[in-house]
Amino acid sequence: MLTPLEIEALSTSLRVAGLSTIASLPFGIAIAWLLARTSFPGRGLLNGFIHLPLVLPPVVVGYVLLLLLGRRGLVGSWLYDAFGVTLVFTWQGAAIASAVMAFPLMVQAIRLSLESVDHGLEAAARTLGAGPVGVFATVTLPLIAPGILTGSILAWARSLGEFGATITFVSNIPGETRTLSNAFFALSQAPGNEEAIVRLLVISIVIALVALLAAEILARRVRRRIRGTSRA
Amino acid sequence: MNLVRTFRSLALVALVTLLAAPVQAMAADLVVFAAASLKNALDDIAAQWQRETGKTVRISYTASSALARQIEIGAPTQLFISADLEWMDYLAQRDLVKPDTRANLLGNRIVLIAPKESNIALSIAPGFPLASALAGGRLAMANTDAVPAGTYGKAALRKLGVWDQVEARVAQAENVRAALVLVSRAEAPLGIVYQTDAAADANVRIIDTFPEDTHPPIVYPVALTAAASHPDAASFLAYLRSLAARSIFEKRGFTVLSPSPRRGTS
Repeated sequence: MLTPLEIEALSTSLRVAGLSTIASLPFGIAIAWLLARTSFPGRGLLNGFIHLPLVLPPVVVGYVLLLLLGRRGLVGSWLYDAFGVTLVFTWQGAAIASAVMAFPLMVQAIRLSLESVDHGLEAAARTLGAGPVGVFATVTLPLIAPGILTGSILAWARSLGEFGATITFVSNIPGETRTLSNAFFALSQAPGNEEAIVRLLVISIVIALVALLAAEILARRVRRRIRGTSRA
Repeated sequence: MNLVRTFRSLALVALVTLLAAPVQAMAADLVVFAAASLKNALDDIAAQWQRETGKTVRISYTASSALARQIEIGAPTQLFISADLEWMDYLAQRDLVKPDTRANLLGNRIVLIAPKESNIALSIAPGFPLASALAGGRLAMANTDAVPAGTYGKAALRKLGVWDQVEARVAQAENVRAALVLVSRAEAPLGIVYQTDAAADANVRIIDTFPEDTHPPIVYPVALTAAASHPDAASFLAYLRSLAARSIFEKRGFTVLSPSPRRGTS
């Protein structure tokens, strides 16, 4: 039903989007917590910095990644010398590029749900003897689960569609970094690929719809469970 | 945020949009669509044309493929310069360019490049040891199935019998300038770009030039679009083929193919 190219691009895309979402989630929660709960000098600056990928053209973000994480880059040269790790031209690099592009969406969703958490519940847990980590793990985290879920879904969806930063940072290598978006773009560049383009388009739409539907069902279930426990 | 503040910020956005609008509305300019690799040369030529005639031209540069598709859906452009014959043919088949104005304007060459400080020495010949010269690194090229610079490179490597050895090591960039950046930043030890791109970047050096018989001729055709009605369109096209333009093109590394315009001879 699917051509080898389609299967390969699809699995690369899913791998990249999956790693990108899972790896950025702890950072997303930490940054959202910093922005929602603390105040420190430079907080506004951090907030602005996090949101830069929403404003900058993706190609520019990819270029900045190349400057920072490239083999000659500030961080990249250290990674290479210390661990022999290179991110340019790898699917892990593609995951980083899409994680950076998706990060503001993830942080924003988690932050909003953190801000709406009833502080009374956390204070109550404190008075019952829970430490700050315990409160966060047993009270705050379950309460913001819907926000985390929404943030992850948004980030995953954004990763799946990422193109500009990816092609600039890791280029287009069959079997390594040729994601659906990369394959799509390459096909659109040559005349006579109309049929292959429409096929990829249909595949992309089906994945997006299935994923969003699954997420909606999951989110409804989480919300119901939270309502259930808070009533009990 | 209260309602008044929301309203105020929306009003601000509307104001900024309105202020920016006149820039968009400056129609009636001569608009030219040109392949991205022509940027440096054409910018110079447009500036010189403006100095000589006092007339302005607006040039939009990107991949020929994207430009051709924009013309297909009715972009208001007067003149199209493609980086390959294929996309000009694509428009010609759809009657979107004026056939009697079409001419082959420029030629180019593809070259093998390395970062400036690299000490790789290679000469291009059948079966030359390109794979071992990469030493595990990537060969940066524009997309080898679609972007002209990439397809020419692939054809040349095929002809020389080394494509099979390097195919899996190729990093395909969005366009030829992006491939240039990968070599310029030394992310890739070798790359294939146009001679004109290599000349524009001081951080790369040319290792060798591909022989012209290893790939289809690299030709930049030009034509007025079927919708072209601007009074200056024809004179700018003529200027592109003048001696003044010729020296600028050659300074940038292009070969000028048609020194004199053939006007309505048929």
